[in-house]
Amino acid sequence: MSGKIAIIGSGPSGCYLAQALVKLCPDAEITIIDKLCTPYGLIRYGVAADHQGTKAVTRQFARLFEKQGVSFIGNLEIGTDMTLTELRECMDVVVLATGLYADRHFDVTGAELQGIYGAGEITRFWNAHPDSENFKPEFGETVTVLGNGNVALDIIRLLAKSEADFDGSDFNTAHINNGIQTIHVVGRSPLEQAKFDAVMVRELRGISGLECKLADDDTLTVEDGNQVSEALNELFSTELGNPAKQVIFHSGWQVEEFTGDNGRLSSVVLRSAKSQARKTIPCDCVITAIGFEDKSMFTRDTLLQNAQNSESGMVESGLFVAGWFKRGPTGTIPENRTDSQQVAEGISEWMKSNTGKKPGRSAITSRFASKVTSYEDWLTINDIELRFAAENRCRQKIATRSAMMAAIEQQKEPA
Amino acid sequence: MKIGLLYGTETGNAEMLCDDIEEELGSSFECSISDLGDVEPDELSADTFYIIVTSTYGNGDLPTTAAPFYDKLEEQKTDLSGIRFAIFGLGDMVFDETYNQGSERLSKLLIECKAQMVGERGLHDASSGEPPEDMALPWVQSIISLHSAEAA
Repeated sequence: MSGKIAIIGSGPSGCYLAQALVKLCPDAEITIIDKLCTPYGLIRYGVAADHQGTKAVTRQFARLFEKQGVSFIGNLEIGTDMTLTELRECMDVVVLATGLYADRHFDVTGAELQGIYGAGEITRFWNAHPDSENFKPEFGETVTVLGNGNVALDIIRLLAKSEADFDGSDFNTAHINNGIQTIHVVGRSPLEQAKFDAVMVRELRGISGLECKLADDDTLTVEDGNQVSEALNELFSTELGNPAKQVIFHSGWQVEEFTGDNGRLSSVVLRSAKSQARKTIPCDCVITAIGFEDKSMFTRDTLLQNAQNSESGMVESGLFVAGWFKRGPTGTIPENRTDSQQVAEGISEWMKSNTGKKPGRSAITSRFASKVTSYEDWLTINDIELRFAAENRCRQKIATRSAMMAAIEQQKEPA
Repeated sequence: MKIGLLYGTETGNAEMLCDDIEEELGSSFECSISDLGDVEPDELSADTFYIIVTSTYGNGDLPTTAAPFYDKLEEQKTDLSGIRFAIFGLGDMVFDETYNQGSERLSKLLIECKAQMVGERGLHDASSGEPPEDMALPWVQSIISLHSAEAA
């Protein structure tokens, strides 16, 4: 099987897919395309900067490009630089593995006020995503985080940490939030039903000067065998005399509206999920961590509705979907690994009877030679980022496309 | 000497480390690699020295592919007399309260079932920035010397 396969998106699902395809279709030409100059998508720009152990999975993916014959084409946006149809004319198989990264829109009165941010845009900003170049959030002293999942926990933890807690990370010191005093966390369900991972709740315990507590009007039911409730209970048991920062959990509340002054947010009005009770939390900003949705150019809903084989991810003949783009915005990195292995089997099966004479990656690299980045270009960027790491940091990310392209150009110039 | 490399993994890191160990040992020994998920406790053989690589997942639990093996062993309490193994754990100190508990739990259960553990548990911290193979390959060499000396 010597077919030509292009995977759009170099995040974990795309890379795991390539990994499985290398084993199932050793003769196939596999190319991973990304709209960014650099590979690894969510691992580089979504996984929190203080979770370097999780980011270390890129060591597996590096082998795709270094040893296993997979190619990387960066800085090429399908739908903008070339159409999906044009790409499909070059390839036997195209896989959409672009994830779901747009913050789900929160449709309540006042949602247009300044000072309301999505967890995704904040996460990308903290991870020095090139699209964040002009994004300047103002957190103020009091922040309200809406949501009871691990994305909310990442946001809370990174807001709560101070300089000493970031040793070994690649978090930019300029983004540390020393001005924050209080972080309110609001969820709709009772807290013991929160979708937190217990280990991530425990992680909050290690943060210097941080006190976590339950709102005065709230209760936590500690259930036997419910690890999250146990971890939260332990978290709330530590009281500090004079904490530098406080996290206050409010559960069983829905947002009724956001109110503001002169176009800027000043408080969140909550309504009880069970009764007519209301309460108001004055705050300087809100971060919504309520899920992600599709805003790509690939008409995801239509594709999925007409899917020919939803298990293998084939939505049209030769067009597959993988990862969150296929599965929706839930599931961890390992779950997407398993799913990508299934998609790879579907592709391998389909290729047995459907490999044509498509030109493959050379048609793209020749057309876009002056624009696209390669894996070697990424190694140039990676090397600079590691070399210029600040004290107590593992990396100093290059934050803009133009600076990345300049670094790559400089490397290519003859000395 | 036959070496059986067994991995338990969530993200594939333990599997990759087994590939590296096989590459290191493959020319000197007869090596095989298996996912712990494909191994039955009563299939383990006394003529093979097992090197287990496993991560920790969730709340100090074993990763998905190692969990069925662990559960079967715990339920059947298979007599593993004569079976020799060494174990290398992949952990992450960011989650310090459950750090490397997966490899700890599996080694304890194997010993309880009378398997003999060779050497100390190898422990790698993913947040250290050090590649796991830099730590695991010297560990494997020392474990094999120890095994050869003990088995002789």
